[in-house]
Amino acid sequence: MAGKGNRKTPYLFIAPFLVMFAAFKLYPMVYGFAVSFLDRNSTKKLTSTAFAGLKNYTNVLASESFWQSLGRSFVFAFVYTVTVMVLGFIFAVLFNTPFKGRKAVRTMFYMPYVTNIIAVGIVFKYLLNPTKGPVNAIFRLFGAEGPKWLSSPVMALPTAAVIGAWLALAFNIITVLAALQEIPNELYEVAELEGATFSQRIRHIILPMLVPALFMLLTITVINSFKSYTTIVALTGGGPGTSTRTLSYQIYEDAFTYMKFSIASAEGVLMTLVIIVVNAILGRVRKVWEEK
Amino acid sequence: MGREMKQKEPFSAKSVVMFILGLLMLFPFIMMVVISFRASGDAYKPIFAAVSPTLKNYRTVLGNENFFRWYANTIFTVLVTIVLRLTVTIPASYAFSRMSFRGKSLIWALLIATLMIPGETTMVPRYLYFKQIHLLDSAWVIILPEVSEVFYLMLLTEFFSSVPEDFSEAARIDGAGDVRILTSVFIPLSGPSIATAVLFSFINIWNNFLDPYLFINSIQKQLITPALKFFQERGGANIPMQLAGASMAIIPVIVLFVMTQKYFVAGVSSSGIKG
Repeated sequence: MAGKGNRKTPYLFIAPFLVMFAAFKLYPMVYGFAVSFLDRNSTKKLTSTAFAGLKNYTNVLASESFWQSLGRSFVFAFVYTVTVMVLGFIFAVLFNTPFKGRKAVRTMFYMPYVTNIIAVGIVFKYLLNPTKGPVNAIFRLFGAEGPKWLSSPVMALPTAAVIGAWLALAFNIITVLAALQEIPNELYEVAELEGATFSQRIRHIILPMLVPALFMLLTITVINSFKSYTTIVALTGGGPGTSTRTLSYQIYEDAFTYMKFSIASAEGVLMTLVIIVVNAILGRVRKVWEEK
Repeated sequence: MGREMKQKEPFSAKSVVMFILGLLMLFPFIMMVVISFRASGDAYKPIFAAVSPTLKNYRTVLGNENFFRWYANTIFTVLVTIVLRLTVTIPASYAFSRMSFRGKSLIWALLIATLMIPGETTMVPRYLYFKQIHLLDSAWVIILPEVSEVFYLMLLTEFFSSVPEDFSEAARIDGAGDVRILTSVFIPLSGPSIATAVLFSFINIWNNFLDPYLFINSIQKQLITPALKFFQERGGANIPMQLAGASMAIIPVIVLFVMTQKYFVAGVSSSGIKG
């Protein structure tokens, strides 16, 4: 029969993907939710099924360290998101106009994205070494004492976030660049005829046309901005003191250093909720913006 | 401002400024390579200081028998993942782009929604679960969860949706079923997007730290990026040697990236979410 084919066919086509997804992605998510209501807070109770009710949640919410690490996650997320969104936009606009050597320079800008922070972290720790590193040597050249970067309780977290942003920047440049190329050329020609300046073009053509893509990109960037674990491990290991102990770092420590698996699961659930709430707020902002 | 400008690109001050900014972006890599050729004691000497370069660090790194094992483990994991991933993702993408069935939009929405949950929030339940099903400390603990990644489903679904309807209609009139249409029309057409999927699989697994770090215990079974972390801890204060290890660990992805940049850009801009 040359018609629509068997009605079961679509399900057979998606079944392998969905089975693997359910077994290895979805199940752990649901399982984590379940574990957060159990009492698996020591090595001996690793497979315990004793129901703990909301105790893990009340413990987590009552602990000061949870709120502190959540706050650090927000600082990290904010610095990371702002850096990557602003620089991504600026460089995309710059790359949108042809110039000699554009292709080669673009390659240079994209390269960090394909590497990883574990490898690159070593060189950043070297460059930013407060007493011996080349970055502070430049400060001294001007007679100034450079900041202590990753060894300073105040500077370490934003420094780590900016390094994370450096690594991820290509993604934003490419996405904004793709959106810029969707803008019809006629719009620029009209602007040119009317003698619009560069900043007017940005404000009246580029930004309005780009808002949907930028909001989409912001959503993705914000989700990524909460994934700070690897960056922190590579650069500071949570220190100095506890100054870079973000929420995902705390989840790791609670689970694999202190063996409090249910507590850590509850923190994981709360972190997911935080991401969902932040995105819901962004969604509302977008609605308000679009109705304007 | 236009993308279609075909005339010769002007050489200007902008070229110079952008090139300098590009060098700044690459500065950490440049330093990584430069310092990796120094002796441990020369690490913090000024950049242009006259120091005699040494290959000793690379000899130490490559002399570590595990180093090649970590490469091999990573390449094995990448290859098996790619094969399995394409096997399950291609038919599913075809169904989501070309077939109508009950529950389609609901299933799609659910899959997309899970992208909001980063792997870091579920590291604990994943560890407990993989321990329970005895999957820990083998390549499969990385491979099996990587098989169904929504990112690649989106990538291929997007591509299949862009194939003109006429292509599949012609085959259908000739009496071809969905399986035939998929294998003889869609797969041959999708070379570029499959290339993109392969490239991203390679980059993502190569750079993956958290999963293998958590789930693989034996150092001989480890993948390159978490192995590099252990290597660093073992290496102690010898920064040039750590940097030699780091260079060796990222050279394969950088070479691959420079050769296949076209697919890299296509992958980022068509789906917008990295796994």
